[in-house]
Amino acid sequence: MISTPTIRHIAGGIAFALFTGLAAANPNTDALVTTDWLADNLDRDDLTVIEVSVNPGKFERGHIPGAVNFRWHTDLVDTVRRDIVDRASFQTLLRDAGVSGDDEIVLYGDTNNWFAAWGAWIFDIYGVDSVRLLDGGRDKWEAEGRPLSLRPASHPQGDIEVSEADESIRAFLPEVVEVASNEAANTQLVDIRSAAEYEGRIIAPDGVDELSVRAGHIPGAVNVGWGNAVNEDGTFKSADELRAIYAQAGVDGSKPVITYCRIGERSSHTWFALSKILGYDVKNYDGSWTEYGNSVGVPVTNLAGTVWGGQ
Amino acid sequence: MENITATDTAPALRRRLLFSTVLPTLIAAGLIAGSWQLSVSNGDPLALSLLLGATFGVLLQRARFCFFCVTRDFLDHRDARGLLGILAALAVGTLGYHLIFGLFVPDPAGGRLPPDAHIGPVSWVLALAAFTFGSGMTLSGSCISAHLYRLGEGAIGSVAALGGVLIGFGLGFATWNTLYLAGIDQAPVIWLPDLAGYGGSILIQLGGLGLLALALMRWHRPAGPAKGAAPASFRGRLIGQRWPTYVGGLLIGALAVMAYLRVAPLGVTAELGSLARTAGNGLGVLPDRLQGLDGFSGCATAVKNVLLSENGAFIIGLILASLASALAAGDFRPQRVTVGKAAGSLAGGVLMGWGAMTALGCTVGTLLSGIMAAAVSGWVFALFCLLGLWVTWRIRN
Repeated sequence: MISTPTIRHIAGGIAFALFTGLAAANPNTDALVTTDWLADNLDRDDLTVIEVSVNPGKFERGHIPGAVNFRWHTDLVDTVRRDIVDRASFQTLLRDAGVSGDDEIVLYGDTNNWFAAWGAWIFDIYGVDSVRLLDGGRDKWEAEGRPLSLRPASHPQGDIEVSEADESIRAFLPEVVEVASNEAANTQLVDIRSAAEYEGRIIAPDGVDELSVRAGHIPGAVNVGWGNAVNEDGTFKSADELRAIYAQAGVDGSKPVITYCRIGERSSHTWFALSKILGYDVKNYDGSWTEYGNSVGVPVTNLAGTVWGGQ
Repeated sequence: MENITATDTAPALRRRLLFSTVLPTLIAAGLIAGSWQLSVSNGDPLALSLLLGATFGVLLQRARFCFFCVTRDFLDHRDARGLLGILAALAVGTLGYHLIFGLFVPDPAGGRLPPDAHIGPVSWVLALAAFTFGSGMTLSGSCISAHLYRLGEGAIGSVAALGGVLIGFGLGFATWNTLYLAGIDQAPVIWLPDLAGYGGSILIQLGGLGLLALALMRWHRPAGPAKGAAPASFRGRLIGQRWPTYVGGLLIGALAVMAYLRVAPLGVTAELGSLARTAGNGLGVLPDRLQGLDGFSGCATAVKNVLLSENGAFIIGLILASLASALAAGDFRPQRVTVGKAAGSLAGGVLMGWGAMTALGCTVGTLLSGIMAAAVSGWVFALFCLLGLWVTWRIRN
């Protein structure tokens, strides 16, 4: 006969194994939802699914049923100033999408959720909680052969109130220059671009319109490509794996972090991994290399010595 | 297919069977197998492009859907049936496109354009490009899409014309930056539903097409019934005889709607443009940056970074299927080409290539897909292309 304490022991062991197994499969359920979860919850009235894709026409040609389209180029940035969307426009956008105060929101998009992560950063700036990313984004949903819809969703008008912009998760040029000049040595910069861009061998990848006149990186930045944060299917790696990857580059959460890339969208993805999954104190520098590498009088580390060849 | 007669010898019969039945069947099987292979290895859009291109090729070949030929029929003989076929395609396409637009852009007055639709800037550059394209059509004897399906009919002269098109595209890239700043960058991109709503846009489009159809029917001089022709069997009507252009037009209108919904609007120059741009870049003779080009919808001409693009698969399907169709119908007749004729084709091709690049597409992309999309640029292209065709036709006659 098995004693009661032994049964309790075994049950406890099973519960612990289940808990750790789940935790490894889904690092932080507060930040991410799986495709399975979303498929099961699509019909909920208090859930708004929003697609933020960068490729025009992606949403229109088929989207997760019931999803609303936020266009990165015009909805989540200011179209005149180089800036993020202003508070009033963002609030209108959310209300038109049917978002009310306590609704849950799931964001997803193309190109590995880069622009959806930008969306998550904007939601955070304006104090909108209950926002999660679809792990693996649109690519995973499609790869699993899940249904897409052509029909535009119609929602009753929402009544959400968004807060004033919280700039504490956004880095601007003066602060970045302070870090680069070693005047804010307590802050860690993470450059998530390719090694070739980081080392200054190329100014930007082939075919991009946004360029800088200088090659290289911000002094003191470490290079951890955004792709290090994801598995082959585009889902985020587990929290333990992420912690180890960034710790190897000296980013362990003991200091505040600033992430940057070329225009600030891929760095949102790393901002999401570091702040939302690992809980570090992170700012995204949306000016990124196109601003920094074009600024006059700022220090640049250019390992390859590439000189701008433009006329 | 020509009738098999009792006087055919056994080898002639075998030859006839090989060309009219075996080869077309093999090509059709190859296209289906290729599409299946593409769907496994590259996903649906590429596989669909190949099948849509093949269907387009069969329709062009069967219905002799050639913009220049049907216009010449009208100018030479007042035979308006071909032009009416084009109007039929535009009417069906207009209805289908507007149906899809309602899904893609619920509020057409918001200043946003439907994705990928061929709605271009309206400027004097577009008018000049369309005029040049029309002249090139007359000189070379066909528009670009017709040259492509004529390849399948064994038209050797079309090779010269398509070579000219590649050269013309190169010239188009070379002059693009100058023309862009001179007349394109400030030009308005006018989409009728933005101005008049979907209902108004359909009324304007179908009203315009209806008026044109009425005018053509009034000018039409009916051709007498063919003398001595025996009534054809169903198989003969389907495979042996040409289809009336309106049948091709109605089916092409439907095909255009399907293509826009699932892959991209019909267009035949993107792949040719990409080849020319990649070659020009390789030779170092083109500008590094083509200002604003990638921001416009139309037959976009990206530098080639994949061997088989969607438009490339579409063109391959078009040529192979028109070859199969021509073989089955007995329309495959390679002919000798004189140097003078080849030179005319080449020169016409150059004009068409320059015009198609500068107008962001040709009679298929800018005219057919553009007008179906209720783009004013499509109508402007049609007008000036016709003008260029007519002026050159008058000079040649």
